[in-house]
Amino acid sequence: MLGRGKRLWSRSKRLKSSYDAVIIGGGLHGLATAYFLATRHGMNHVAVVEKRYIGFGGAGRNTAIVRANQRTQENLPLYKEALELWPVLTQELDFNLMFYNCGNLNLAHSEAALKAMRLQVASAQFHGIDSRLIDPKECKELVPALDVSDRLRYPIYGGMYHPPGGIVRHDAVVWGLASGASQKGVDIIQGVAVTGIGVQGGRITSVETDHGTITTPRVLNAAGAYAAAISCEMLGMRLPISVLTIQAMVTQPLKPILHHVISSGTYHCYANQTLKGEVATGAHMDPWPNYTTQCTAHYIKHQAEALTQLLPCLKGVKFMRAWAGLADMTPDMAPIIDGNDPVRGYYLDCGWGYFGFKSCVVTGKYLADFMASGVCPQILRPFTGRRFEQHRLMGETPALVHYSPDN
Amino acid sequence: MKRLAGLPTLRVNSARAVSIEYDGKRFHGVEGDTVATLLYANGTRIFSRSLKYHRPRGLYSLDGQSSNTYVDVDDIPNVCAENTFVGNGMRVEPQNVLGTPEHDWMAFMDKLSWAMPAGFYYTIFHKPARLWPIAVRHIRKTAGLGSLSPDVELRGRFDQIYPAADVCIIGAGPAGMSAALAAAAQKLRVILLESRPWLGGYFDYRTRNHKPGMPLYLRGRQLADQLEQAPNIRIFKHTAVIGCYSNNLITAFQRGSEADCFAERYVQIRAESVVVATGCIERPLLFENNDRPGIMQIGCAHRLARTWGVLAGEQAVFSIGHDLGIEAAIDLHDLGLSIACVADVREDGCDPALPPQLEARNIPFYPGWVAAKAHGRKVLKKVTLTNLSGVCKQQFDCDTLVASAGLTPVTGPLALAGARLEYDAHTGYFLPTGIPQKMHAAGRMLGLEDPTAIELSGRLAGLRAVADCGMAVGATISGVEEELAKLPGPARGSKFVVAPVEGKKTFVCFDEDVTIQNIDQAMRLGFDVTELIKRFTSAGTGPGQGGIAGHNLPLYVALTHRSPDLHPRPTTVRPPLVPTLLATYAGTNHPMSKRTPVHASQVAAGGVMERLQPWQRARRFCADTTARAEIENVRTNVGMLDASTLGKFRIFGPDALKALQRVYVSDMARVSTGRMYYSAMCNEDGCVIDDGVATQIAENDYYFTTSTGRAGETSEWIRYHTRYDRWDFHIINLTDAYGVINLAGPNARKVLEKVVDGAVSNEAFPFLGFREFMVHGAIPVRAMRLGFVGELSFELHVPSSYMQSLWDILEEAGEEFAIWNFGLEAQNTLRLEKGHVILGSESEQRTTLHDIGLGFFWHRDKLEAQTVGAVALKQTENDTSRLKLVGFKMEEPAARAPRDGSPIVAERIRGYVCTARYSYALKEPVGMALVEGYLAKNATRLTIFEDDCKGELMKAKVVPMPFYDPTGKRMRM
Repeated sequence: MLGRGKRLWSRSKRLKSSYDAVIIGGGLHGLATAYFLATRHGMNHVAVVEKRYIGFGGAGRNTAIVRANQRTQENLPLYKEALELWPVLTQELDFNLMFYNCGNLNLAHSEAALKAMRLQVASAQFHGIDSRLIDPKECKELVPALDVSDRLRYPIYGGMYHPPGGIVRHDAVVWGLASGASQKGVDIIQGVAVTGIGVQGGRITSVETDHGTITTPRVLNAAGAYAAAISCEMLGMRLPISVLTIQAMVTQPLKPILHHVISSGTYHCYANQTLKGEVATGAHMDPWPNYTTQCTAHYIKHQAEALTQLLPCLKGVKFMRAWAGLADMTPDMAPIIDGNDPVRGYYLDCGWGYFGFKSCVVTGKYLADFMASGVCPQILRPFTGRRFEQHRLMGETPALVHYSPDN
Repeated sequence: MKRLAGLPTLRVNSARAVSIEYDGKRFHGVEGDTVATLLYANGTRIFSRSLKYHRPRGLYSLDGQSSNTYVDVDDIPNVCAENTFVGNGMRVEPQNVLGTPEHDWMAFMDKLSWAMPAGFYYTIFHKPARLWPIAVRHIRKTAGLGSLSPDVELRGRFDQIYPAADVCIIGAGPAGMSAALAAAAQKLRVILLESRPWLGGYFDYRTRNHKPGMPLYLRGRQLADQLEQAPNIRIFKHTAVIGCYSNNLITAFQRGSEADCFAERYVQIRAESVVVATGCIERPLLFENNDRPGIMQIGCAHRLARTWGVLAGEQAVFSIGHDLGIEAAIDLHDLGLSIACVADVREDGCDPALPPQLEARNIPFYPGWVAAKAHGRKVLKKVTLTNLSGVCKQQFDCDTLVASAGLTPVTGPLALAGARLEYDAHTGYFLPTGIPQKMHAAGRMLGLEDPTAIELSGRLAGLRAVADCGMAVGATISGVEEELAKLPGPARGSKFVVAPVEGKKTFVCFDEDVTIQNIDQAMRLGFDVTELIKRFTSAGTGPGQGGIAGHNLPLYVALTHRSPDLHPRPTTVRPPLVPTLLATYAGTNHPMSKRTPVHASQVAAGGVMERLQPWQRARRFCADTTARAEIENVRTNVGMLDASTLGKFRIFGPDALKALQRVYVSDMARVSTGRMYYSAMCNEDGCVIDDGVATQIAENDYYFTTSTGRAGETSEWIRYHTRYDRWDFHIINLTDAYGVINLAGPNARKVLEKVVDGAVSNEAFPFLGFREFMVHGAIPVRAMRLGFVGELSFELHVPSSYMQSLWDILEEAGEEFAIWNFGLEAQNTLRLEKGHVILGSESEQRTTLHDIGLGFFWHRDKLEAQTVGAVALKQTENDTSRLKLVGFKMEEPAARAPRDGSPIVAERIRGYVCTARYSYALKEPVGMALVEGYLAKNATRLTIFEDDCKGELMKAKVVPMPFYDPTGKRMRM
């Protein structure tokens, strides 16, 4: 039991002089990859190098929603497997990731949105994922607090109900994976910054840190919002990624009132009640690229406006804490996963935007396959960064998005 | 309980009684009571039960630092009783109890704390796996504080204001008031924000002398009077600052009094300069059972008596770490509280004038002693004091323990604005460093304790703010600085962290029931950063927002690490600084939408209105959801559509054409007067983002339309893509300035010719022509012959103010033909039959101009224009693997149309249905779909997978478009 407590992960800050693989970023994707490298491929001579502390970035700032009702067939199988992994990992890590399978309800506020949802629902069903379109009355039955009247600025036309989704305790995933990886011998090194990546003859040779040089044939760049900058500054590889601030907030704790994750693209708002009873809510990003994690006055007000329209009873509830994180957005809202191109031994896992949490463990699993074998698994191939050169956007978002890196 | 009467410091009006209902019983108090003081005066000691262990909790800070006194008021949960004024007839209920706060059936949870170490939920409940879903249900039920009904309605009006100020001062204690006066003296606009309902801060309730003959409370009121009289100071009382953002944007909310027209209002201030004079709160004393009801902070006991006339108890013990505690003991003794002893965690350093005063009152004084344990099953009965080494112990009976380790500054506004908080070994405070420009800290929060120094530091900050506003007060500032230097500087503060305790219930955080044992457990597990310990144990994440845990947690962590290089590092401060109602943030929010100039008549005509982006538009004018009658009326007769939401722009100037060339894919040099020209815009990936028509109005002067969705972005799009060119052109968004009527159908000409002054014959005004007419000699109309719905049609653009008149005139002229409205649903089917696309409907984010078959718009030879998207259009030109737009019909004409959005499958998903409708003209369903290139050939079979189809796939075949009138002669009639 925790109370008696052994350390969950090793204390060591001392870097060894060489590793089989160095993972930049002690976030969810980095830790998951390290865990799967160690457990599935016996590659435990691995260092996870984190500049701050594990879970400092998006891992600790997301709103913990998981779901598998993506839009495209490139994404659907990946997220489906991700959903199935939470209970499995809970047992495997012997650490309760607290997957709360409450289901997700995404609201449509126009005919056009319903049509977009139908594609999503039917595509999910085609892939054997439970997702259905429901009418406003059924929405109200699921979420009694919902206002389905026409008083709303954007009345509710229906919803996409996805029972297999829910929320997972995000911190638990960080700590569970760190603990699991550490037990298998992975070095988790906090407070060490990567300052350079050594390449010779088109191959990765080393990683420079502010605590010394590490020799390694493999590097995974899983630095989240900072991944694109690392790629650009250390290897001269420019990625089509814009970094934007995204904010979220929680209310004071309440007895259960929301039994599902609800979301609305039109209102730029999603909300779910954590197991602690807080209503966690967030949604859209600041409209300009930036690296700050500052909250804005506008946003929390906007969120209150949106939330009190959808769920009028929440007017009597108080916001308690807002925070901000960074989302690394690609032009098509799908990630960039690549490896050995153009530098052998250099692997990339970034551009997740706000999908990084729900995808972390499954991506880690396949990335570990990739890094151990050097061959990209079929399921990850569509995510190559080369797609942007060919103007082949993934189509994960139906709508146009504009955030070019220079605006 | 008898209330103290006649005290000059009181803020209650004993002459007027008020009452509330609490837990089903009626309680009486006086005007000015908060829910907490009224209940306390009536003998309530246990206000609530704690989150996890259901321990009894009572009045502790009187400033809302914890959820101890959270109650349910009129069905609204989590209301802090400490800063909620009593309203007559309020219905107050305790929360998070099964039974009553006194007798809570969940109290056994306290005995189970051994089973709930820090993060226990991560290690149990998942073995076996089937246990977890059951556990979740129970965890959810036990978690959370108050409960909310899904249909509860919050009463009261919520308002918002956005005032601007030269100087904004946060905190109206002595420093803040002095700052305000200093700034106001320079005739600047000053805003003063005070969280309490009155000005005065910690002067307000104290009788100690400021100067001989001038007690502190009088001095406070003197300053307050001066402020109230200054015309250029806008005072917001009962206003809590909740956020500080870049460039001195301050957000706050004000609670309304009975005289105000609002229950609460959101206040957002932009100020040139900001002074933060928020003072200090007390740092809780850590000892065994430090959460027992009856234990409270110094200010709580003192203000309870001095402000509300309520003595905290009968027999009190003081265990304090600051002179304020000794001062309060003396004052409360004189007011009738029996005091067993005063223990001071400081062995030395107290004001030498104070101990003799205790002695004169026969109050034993124990320097270097501290409370180690509180006794009493539910409420405080006695306390064990010990010396700091824990060797000597002594017990005292008491019903009140005033406990406080020292002070801690309220740095929230500064931290939010970007200041760093660093531990200061002298004061023991986390002091702000790197305060942003044009922001100043003043007063007690800097460690000052001398009242004159506090006022002067406020004055200094006020003057610095004046200087920020560009006024020359440098000499005055130097004078004040010199004066201040002569006064006592920051005082040495108590650095005491934790009493020598043995038990397991020493709470660092009340809200989350986190004990020091939990912190130890977290640290043993490897959580060594305070921020992570906070996350793991959830200390400081409760409704009190770190008010209790904020200072002690990092101190305790640093102490436990025993590492000399590990400075205490506070956790991140997050907005809102005070829990704020969503209703308050939402303010006057109400549903808003844009209406077209003929909105009212559309509604009157039976239009079923729906929200389309910012607009309200009519979907149809009949009960039939397929709008058959409207469609047939357009096909055979004449109909009118309100198309006012179309984006409409004028672009003019010597370089206007260049700008159009840049964004449109076609050669816009071909745009000429008297004719409409159809083209499209793409983004850098060649994806089509807009389509519309353009015409030339005069030399270097063009008029063009965009889709409704792009109306808001087009100006910015054009400016963005010409931003390095220094071109001379102007663009004006005329979307709201013009209304648009689409007059369509074979009889359209017959209607129009009755009212216009020009010729509208097919020869005089051919298809794609542009003409300007006058209607009835009074209404200027821009008319264009377009064919979106596939019939003879005239798109009439008219100044918005004339729109309704023109509509009525046409309606009257068309009466003989039984002219009728048509809506979006009819238009959708009509244009589908013609194979005309609506972007966003027949395209998605990744769809290029080639993909929807409009590649011929692109003029590849205008290289010098550097057309946006041209490179991508060239690169994707021959890519056959992309999704292409095709028309289809069902293999069985009797089949119904598939639902929009249904995927097209062949082993995997190969595309999807964009729009499909039953065509009344063709008497079978038709549709458009985006499909993989290899499926795009004519007569290819498409298999459609609808949602909930249960394996029953629909079959369609690719056919050429348009479906209706393929030669287009009807629109050229």
